[in-house]
Amino acid sequence: MTTIPMPTKEKFIVPIGPQHPALKEPGHFEFAVDGEIVTDATVRLGYVHRGIEKAAEARNWTQNLYLVERICGICSHIHALTYSLGVEKLAEVEVPRRAQAIRVLVAELERVHSHLLWFGVAAHEAGFDTLFMYSWRDRETIMDILEALTGNRVNYSANVLGGVKFDVSPEQCKVILTGIDFLEERTRHYLNVATSDSMFLQRTRGIGITRLRDAQRLGIVGPTARASGVIRDVRVDAPYAAYDEFPVQMVVETAGDLEARFVVRLKELFESFRLIREILANLPAGDLQVKRFPRKIKAGEVISRVEAPRGEVFYYIRSTGGEQPDRLKVRTPTLCNMASVLSLSIGHHLADVPMLLVGIDPCFSCNDRGVTISGNEGNGRWTWERLRQFGIDYYARKV
Amino acid sequence: MKIATMLGDVWQSIWQRPITQKYPFERLEAPVRLRGKLHWNPEKCTGCALCNKDCPANAIEIITVDKKEKRFVMKYHMDRCTYCAQCVESCRFSCIEMSDEEWELAATDKTPFTVTYGTENDLREFMAKFADANITTPAS
Amino acid sequence: MEGVLSITSLLFFPGGLFVVLLGLFYEWIDRKIIARLQNRIGPRWFQPFADTLKLLAKEEVVPTGVNPVLFIGLPLVALAGALTAALYVPMAGIRPSFSFPGDLIVTVYMLSLLTLCTGLAGAHTPDRFSLIGATRGLTQLFAYEAPFLLALLGPAMIAGSWQIHDINQYAQTHLWFMLTQPIGFIVALIGLMGKLELPPFDSPEAETEIVAGALTEYSGRGLAIFHLGKGVELVIGLTLITAFYMGGLGNPIYFLLKTVGVLMVLAGLQSLMTRLRIDQTVGMWWRYGAVLVLAQWLVLYVLQLV
Ligand code: SF4
Ligand code: SF4
Repeated sequence: MTTIPMPTKEKFIVPIGPQHPALKEPGHFEFAVDGEIVTDATVRLGYVHRGIEKAAEARNWTQNLYLVERICGICSHIHALTYSLGVEKLAEVEVPRRAQAIRVLVAELERVHSHLLWFGVAAHEAGFDTLFMYSWRDRETIMDILEALTGNRVNYSANVLGGVKFDVSPEQCKVILTGIDFLEERTRHYLNVATSDSMFLQRTRGIGITRLRDAQRLGIVGPTARASGVIRDVRVDAPYAAYDEFPVQMVVETAGDLEARFVVRLKELFESFRLIREILANLPAGDLQVKRFPRKIKAGEVISRVEAPRGEVFYYIRSTGGEQPDRLKVRTPTLCNMASVLSLSIGHHLADVPMLLVGIDPCFSCNDRGVTISGNEGNGRWTWERLRQFGIDYYARKV
Repeated sequence: MKIATMLGDVWQSIWQRPITQKYPFERLEAPVRLRGKLHWNPEKCTGCALCNKDCPANAIEIITVDKKEKRFVMKYHMDRCTYCAQCVESCRFSCIEMSDEEWELAATDKTPFTVTYGTENDLREFMAKFADANITTPAS
Repeated sequence: MEGVLSITSLLFFPGGLFVVLLGLFYEWIDRKIIARLQNRIGPRWFQPFADTLKLLAKEEVVPTGVNPVLFIGLPLVALAGALTAALYVPMAGIRPSFSFPGDLIVTVYMLSLLTLCTGLAGAHTPDRFSLIGATRGLTQLFAYEAPFLLALLGPAMIAGSWQIHDINQYAQTHLWFMLTQPIGFIVALIGLMGKLELPPFDSPEAETEIVAGALTEYSGRGLAIFHLGKGVELVIGLTLITAFYMGGLGNPIYFLLKTVGVLMVLAGLQSLMTRLRIDQTVGMWWRYGAVLVLAQWLVLYVLQLV
């Protein structure tokens, strides 16, 4: 573990956030700098904690579908998907294949939109606004496709418990395919820009190198981890929905720097395009929904894992046999990746910090959660041992 | 190693019209599937209130006018609705559907966003019954 | 009569109001072209004017811990410096209102006054973003200043005078210096981008890192005045480059055509590049910029000797 030096009072600290142009969502970072070099970093999260996990306990199974969809504005479908997969497993309901395929279709379309969005934001943070404008212009294609397909641009609400709401008509197939063809060509262009524009490479190549060992130790997930050579992708490791029928090829890079993260995300787009084409060509026949989904779900607990555009989303759902979940626990990928920003930024230029931050594709509102620690332990930084001991004591007290 | 890799795009843009939509002056047509304002058909409703129970935003109220004759009135709060279409799925009698109209929900006042659906007869009765309960004039 | 003329040239034309308005207009052209290059519509012509008017009407919040006189005075000094410089250049293609041998140096340093004032304004507010912005701004100043000046001195050397008017006259009757001294032209052009803190040299005001850099604490009139100063600097910079390198400025039509032409090139360059880190900027200037102009100087010197 890289030991993060304790901050001393005399340091020149640059606060970034909660309101700052580099952050599209509130979070608070404090970077101690020596000239332009960052010597220390801390983060404070929780500005957009909304108490969704608790709120879920007061709503019925169906209503929660739309509540969790609002955890993240970018991967709304992924959250609803994770939740419905979990609940369906708990209710022991077999979802029709066609529905599962459509779920994967929407998930991949969403991945395309999310990665393009990230690409634009990253270009903007690097100060390359032209690239930002063009990538967002092209992203509009996928937004229009999603809107035409699902009926909404952001919260697609494609899922219902036990299936999906809509079918894909042949005309829509055609629209999607044309859109995908256009985007594939554009993505090829962007990959070329991200890997050959020397001005842009000055800001990405060799910056923020995360070695495989560090990536594993810090528990990094998603494309960020795959850029460091971690071979992990839930779609491949534990195929859910229709990923067993439509397998994906994992994209792994080993350089671990910002450039590798660009490459991984952009190459994943090609994989998504291929998958979308394949699904549209071989859409399994069948129903869209199960006939009846129980309103009460028998007691039990389940975990559900899904690969969101940013990494693994993890849900724990427990039922006591009622109309509402007894506990819903969400872990989003940004939470796993946040620690890497802090340890990485030390030793880098202040100008690289926004790039490092955006390199993990952070989503603050989905990772914010509240923890209240009562007692006179005092504030400040906790060591791993102390945190672990606290956890053990906490649960020992609770039992 | 190249510089100015975006030159092609930039060059094209010189000869191209800007992609920006002049939104309030030019409106794009909403896609057919757009989930907009909800419509309710009172004929088939059985008053099971499943739509009301499953609505994540409490946007639907089913008000009984006459239970025996299965006459109901629906009060729909457009401003609360999240346009998720769960009510459409939940209703077993296909009373509810979502239209692609009214997606620009901006007003200085919330009253137009409360819509009461029902047959004319039911609405009249409902109005008379709840006249004192400060209910806004039913639209549609 | 003499007095009236001087006052007019100070307050209205070619100094004062005219340059300020022209600066805003050029800023609009710049923004519009960049927008079009990015496939956007861009602002309408009155946007910079509206922005400035709005800022001028706003209350200036003087943060605690700063010297109010300095805080309010610095933008004025900066604008005054830029406006003074306008008097020595062939604005709108007509004879400079004031001229004396060596006014080239004065003009270039009057322009630097703006950066200097911005730096001071940032450095004396207790805000961290301002401080970092100021440090970066001043660091950058030291990087581009020397190559930029040297690049402008190239034509001066050939023309045999350090008076802007003379060089302009010389340039009008000879082959464009752009063709005979291409290196100087490129360095001058890029130096101007550095001076104006345009992308890719905008790290002193990189919004994603340090908000608005040195001017973070300025909210009203001060910001507007700094802004106007920048516009004036843009106009003067363009005038200098076109007068020196692009066949001089003989009349208003040429002035408009040539300066807008250069502005278009600048806009194109801006839209194609990624922001450089401050260490990369400085490295680039000293490693390539300075060496290149020095090489050109050497060539010119040798040529003059033979
Ligand atoms: S669309 Fe969703 S939010 Fe709106 S009324 Fe129906 S169930 Fe409620
Ligand atoms: S679910 Fe359908 S039938 Fe039941 S109350 Fe609602 S509209 Fe009527």
